[in-house]
Amino acid sequence: MRSAASRLFSSKDPFDTEKTDSLFVDAIRENVTFHRKNCPAYREMLAARNFTPDLLTDPDSLAKLPCLPTLLFKRHHLFSISEEKLPVRATSSGTGGQYSRIGLDWKSLFLGSKMVLRMAQWRELLSLRPTQYFILGYEPHKGNEMAVTKTALGSTFFAPAIRRHYALRWKDGQYAADLESILAQLQKAARGIFPVRFMGFPSYTYFLLKTMQERGIRCILPRHSRIMLGGGWKAHIAQQVDKQVLYDLIEKVLGVKQSHVVEFFGAVEHPILWTDCPAHHFHVPVYARVLIRDVQTLEPVPHGQPGLVNLLTPMIRACPLTSILTDDIGILHDGPCSCGIRSPWLELCGRTGLQDIRTCAAGAAELLKGAVS
Amino acid sequence: MILANGIVHPAEAQAAILAELPRKLCETLAAGAPDPEAVIHVLDAMGRRILNGDFDTWITVPELRAQLAQAGRSLERDVLQRKLETELGGMPDRPSNGLSPAVRRMPLGVLLHIAAGNMDALPAWSVIEGLLAGNINLLKLPQADSGLTIAFFRELISMEPKLRDFIYVFDTPSTDLEGMQMLADCADGIAVWGGDAAVSALRRMAKPGCRLIEWGHKLGFCYLSGDPPEEVLRDLAVHIISTRQLLCSSCQVIYLDTDSTAKITAFARRFLPVLEKAADRFPVRELRAKAELTLRRYTAELEQAMGTATSQCFLPGRGCSITVCADNALELSPMYGSVLVKALPQDQIIPVLREKKGYLQTAGLWCPDELREKLTERLLRSGVCRVLPPGRMSEAFPGEAHDGSYALAQYSRITNIL
Repeated sequence: MRSAASRLFSSKDPFDTEKTDSLFVDAIRENVTFHRKNCPAYREMLAARNFTPDLLTDPDSLAKLPCLPTLLFKRHHLFSISEEKLPVRATSSGTGGQYSRIGLDWKSLFLGSKMVLRMAQWRELLSLRPTQYFILGYEPHKGNEMAVTKTALGSTFFAPAIRRHYALRWKDGQYAADLESILAQLQKAARGIFPVRFMGFPSYTYFLLKTMQERGIRCILPRHSRIMLGGGWKAHIAQQVDKQVLYDLIEKVLGVKQSHVVEFFGAVEHPILWTDCPAHHFHVPVYARVLIRDVQTLEPVPHGQPGLVNLLTPMIRACPLTSILTDDIGILHDGPCSCGIRSPWLELCGRTGLQDIRTCAAGAAELLKGAVS
Repeated sequence: MILANGIVHPAEAQAAILAELPRKLCETLAAGAPDPEAVIHVLDAMGRRILNGDFDTWITVPELRAQLAQAGRSLERDVLQRKLETELGGMPDRPSNGLSPAVRRMPLGVLLHIAAGNMDALPAWSVIEGLLAGNINLLKLPQADSGLTIAFFRELISMEPKLRDFIYVFDTPSTDLEGMQMLADCADGIAVWGGDAAVSALRRMAKPGCRLIEWGHKLGFCYLSGDPPEEVLRDLAVHIISTRQLLCSSCQVIYLDTDSTAKITAFARRFLPVLEKAADRFPVRELRAKAELTLRRYTAELEQAMGTATSQCFLPGRGCSITVCADNALELSPMYGSVLVKALPQDQIIPVLREKKGYLQTAGLWCPDELREKLTERLLRSGVCRVLPPGRMSEAFPGEAHDGSYALAQYSRITNIL
């Protein structure tokens, strides 16, 4: 009989979470049983928290499964299949100096490609029209194992690529930004008949478009062009770009409608292709579930309340990534949404902690004393 | 919003204002610096109005009103005069006797302030210092500014219109490199507040010859030698918890004068209940900070279960934590009551601290009396600028220097006339 995970990833409707709830629980139990058997450290952690897979009986019981913080994967290499046997290895981009190292096995890759195709089809990204790609991110090369690079490359297979233009090119042993040549090529592509697709960090996209706007460059892209955003909103620039500002800028400078802007989200520790709906909400797909946990007790909180984001998926066999506790604060909102999808949607509200120290001066300290009481 | 010539303009006016700015600055320079007495007078009046509650409606959060009162008190005439005397009093200022040239302190000229985004009153304070030294001030606001800074200066200018040409406030986003560069090109000096990224970015923008005054982020620490009494630990705990370890002067690492891991672990176990008691008094309310503490505690619990020995020993506490580390590097703690404990024998102080020489500022010191002079000297020689009792690390004093220098002197130059 086919595994529960395989059946789950074959779902026709990628957002029918209600109908797939019990299948999801079965798939998680299957996945946890596998990791428990093959990853001794994971087994120890489950045992320490008195957890056995038979406790997973219904959707509510998912909260009982111990979730593993992403920090843990940054400090330890946890694998359930030996690393040499894995076709894909990836690292996170390493904001803050530490990065996670995980892998994907053949079975997970197979499930993953089904998911990616389903999502791309649903968001009307699959096309046979030859396309010019502009990747506002890193050009792949041998030493680069960052997941964002792989995702960006992956996204250029939804439609046949005529050419891939990279904003960060590998030259003489290091990455260098090449804004001018990107601009020249973009202007050329805009005059052509083939659609153009952007893929990159929202902050880079914003920066490029802002530069174009300041220089008075408008490039109305050919029909069927798409803007794809991915990799997070804050990781690469201190400043936070407001989503609506970016959508307006895209329409103004490139002539691409807001509904043709697609955003992806995922993490190296949770390699699910979260895809936003035309109303730009991240609905929970059948492949994953989300629990929002209280920031102090780690107990699940009701929808609508902020807490730590816990992401679950039965997709991966290489590493025990079944239930991941991220350092994001998020809120799970109940549908319905104007796009028609009924599953709840996840809003990310930023990271935990404070990344930087506050500055202070002798004089200022006096001014500001009491600020913290 | 932009404040220029005493008027609040919309952000769209920026290009026009920047185009006019160089000419305007020359006119103001030609007219002479503001009278220091007039500056003190209006700041004092402003301070009294703040204490009087005239601006309480600006601030809706009651806790922040206490902060405003603090600000009011630091604008008092006495405080400002003492600041001028301490910071500029030592600068030579004498007329020519016919043979040797006259020496005169002058303002730097045009001062650009790049303010940090995390403390409400800081941008205004930086400009006040620039004004006291007689400069024309261009302030680039942090993104997070609530609009309070512009409201403050608009009010100040309405009370003393002569200051109109000495205060410009821009809310140019940091991504507007062209606008930032135009501001930098106008400046004789740039005072930059903020982390390494902000300081490095400004270093690239400043033309050669433009004086850079860096008020970068610093790392505070505490050095304990011998066996500190209970009340010292209690004061240190209150300092750590009440400043949330967010200030440059806050204690990030507690160093013990030993090379024994057993001793630092024993200290951590002794200190944890003291820290917990302080955390009970000043509980963390910020969601993000609570989440961070929970994540660290939970991760440590799982690591323990995994049975993997890490180089660190994590002691979770109620609303706080202590990490006993195997290394001795000075580093930023996870903050919010998460202090690091490390071993550092006294003969290692200089080599270890020199590794972080650009980040040194405050050291809390407790040691037996006979060692005090020697250890103070050693800390100062490694680059530390303030040596204080552990519980008083963030305290401010009248006449105190900032990161080893006087701001007003930094914002001045010495001229010779013969």
